[in-house]
Amino acid sequence: MMNADSSYNMRSKRFYGLKTTCLVWVLLVTGVSCELPTRTGEGQAVQQPDETETAAPPENEEYVMVTTAVTMPMYVNHDQAAFKRWGEKMGVKVSILGPADWDVPAQINTLEEVIGTRPTGILVNGTDAALAQAINKAVAAGIPTVVYDSDIPGGRHHAFLGTDWYEIGRMQGEEMVKLTGGKGKIAYMGILGLSNMEDGFRGLLDVLAVYPGMQVVGKYDDKASVEEAARITSDVLAAHPDLAGLCGFDSNSGPGMALAVKELGKGGRVKITTVDWEPEHLSLVSQGIIHMLAGQKRELFTWYGAQFLHDMAHGTNRLSGNDERAGITSVPEKVNTGLIRITRENVALFLP
Amino acid sequence: MRKILEDRIYSLSVLLIVIVVVAGLVYPDTFLTADNFRQLLLNLSIDAIVAVGMMILLIAGVFDLSVGSILAFAGCFTAHLMFFYEVPVFWAVGAGLAASGLLGCLNGYLIAYKGINAMIQTLAMMGIARGLALMVSGAAIQNLPYWFGAIGQSKLLGVQMPVWYMLLIVGVFTFLMSKTVFFRRYYYIGSNEVAAALSGIRVKRMKMIAFIISALLAGIAGVLLTSRLGAALPTMGRGLELRVITAVILGGASLSGGVGRIPGALLGALFMGIAANIMVIARVSGYWQDIIVGIILILTLWTDQSLKKNYE
Repeated sequence: MMNADSSYNMRSKRFYGLKTTCLVWVLLVTGVSCELPTRTGEGQAVQQPDETETAAPPENEEYVMVTTAVTMPMYVNHDQAAFKRWGEKMGVKVSILGPADWDVPAQINTLEEVIGTRPTGILVNGTDAALAQAINKAVAAGIPTVVYDSDIPGGRHHAFLGTDWYEIGRMQGEEMVKLTGGKGKIAYMGILGLSNMEDGFRGLLDVLAVYPGMQVVGKYDDKASVEEAARITSDVLAAHPDLAGLCGFDSNSGPGMALAVKELGKGGRVKITTVDWEPEHLSLVSQGIIHMLAGQKRELFTWYGAQFLHDMAHGTNRLSGNDERAGITSVPEKVNTGLIRITRENVALFLP
Repeated sequence: MRKILEDRIYSLSVLLIVIVVVAGLVYPDTFLTADNFRQLLLNLSIDAIVAVGMMILLIAGVFDLSVGSILAFAGCFTAHLMFFYEVPVFWAVGAGLAASGLLGCLNGYLIAYKGINAMIQTLAMMGIARGLALMVSGAAIQNLPYWFGAIGQSKLLGVQMPVWYMLLIVGVFTFLMSKTVFFRRYYYIGSNEVAAALSGIRVKRMKMIAFIISALLAGIAGVLLTSRLGAALPTMGRGLELRVITAVILGGASLSGGVGRIPGALLGALFMGIAANIMVIARVSGYWQDIIVGIILILTLWTDQSLKKNYE
């Protein structure tokens, strides 16, 4: 007859034996089910949109724009307005999705959730290189995917339309050299940490580096805020009363710099170049406060971007017996829409 | 019934089930899919990990506005070490987490021992950590080592790893906060700090530890997000603090401290994640998304309060 202790020991052994068996099974199952990511360049199939499928009737087609800072006036007035106009013209549904603030991870989350809803095509604002993986997921899912504004290195998107930000920087640098005669102190600002703006800063500095008389006194983060840009400008002017020029790289840099320069009574004397051509920017150019605007043709990004998606979905231009098998895309892969140079001489043509 | 209404975990669970059923009926092909749920969980995993730390802080009667910036700093610093100094993944991740813990320690020390207001201190730290993230990463750091990417991009049973880390963290802290004397002291501190101190609890040390835990969890979230994205962005985690505080309040915490449970943090984050997911599927414009989340928060809290009053 077993006593209580030995019975307990047996139960205890059985219990631990069972636990160990369970643990081994869990480890085996999880070990077998563990999937490592593919290495860069490893053969992950890039699925081209299937052109052999009959395209859905227009009323069932949906084109989705995924952006960040969806309420930013520049995006609303140019990108989104053109995208909506295109949708109306084509008689298809267009949707604009993304976070209200500048939040790239949230844009990525939105894009990844949109992929599951299988729209006809996705137009992605290339706000940051980190979008590459989500873009590749969309392409791998066979959804026509076009990136606009800034290109995404490592992304396998079907096409890109946008501006070369390095050229925006160069354009501002060359104009600043012309305006200042190649001599003087320069400060510049934008949103630090954004890859497209850093490209722009690089373009500016590459031009200025050629002129020994040009001295860069600072690089500032205006956080895409008019108030912050104005505050930075007044501080820089207090520290360098002989400042010759200011260059801006986000939509709010120009109005902020102009505000501070006007308030300090230096309007026209401190040369200002910046990006974008919203009504406020144009008005400041006509007043002679801002000297040059490096404008992007943003309407073209989204209009033609959407058209590219439509052409891919409908197989409008087939370049081979089977473009998918041939591994080619039937739309232009990279389109540089170019820049608009707006000065006091031609501003009247752009004013609303 | 009364228990259900009084406990936010139950009431929020019921509400979530109702929302999932309704959304499933309205969008059966897009919402009720395994892929969508996997994506949804992945998207909320980062917020939920940070929410666990915030829940502990709120139970202790304090909060931290710098978690979003600490998340960005931890991710950028880890990437910086690997990319510029070729530090092995293990040590770089360790250093990133240690650095985030250090920022949490600084927050905790200045708030608990020097009496600086938690809002002011963590607001200042928000700026410092964001500036440090910008300094170490510049525009962004890409081309990170393969094994670093594997931390956040690998899958287990078809589900991406951040979801498993989230479940592990929630599980561990649920146990600690409900079963260990050490962590249960936070409820006493949050309910009555003076009484807790008089009863022998080392309130200052406990508060400092809470800030370190919160910062460490933000650091873990930063490393996971950087690994998942395959890039370190200095703009990561912007606005995260408010999202997380909203999730934690939804999950049953109170700004006055002393209440809340760790599963509530997960449920709050799940609620926010499902709401965001449904809005994407329903193609609700970004203009409306913040407004709708705000309205949902007010309605949930208001309904909750009204029901409780009726039963009292």
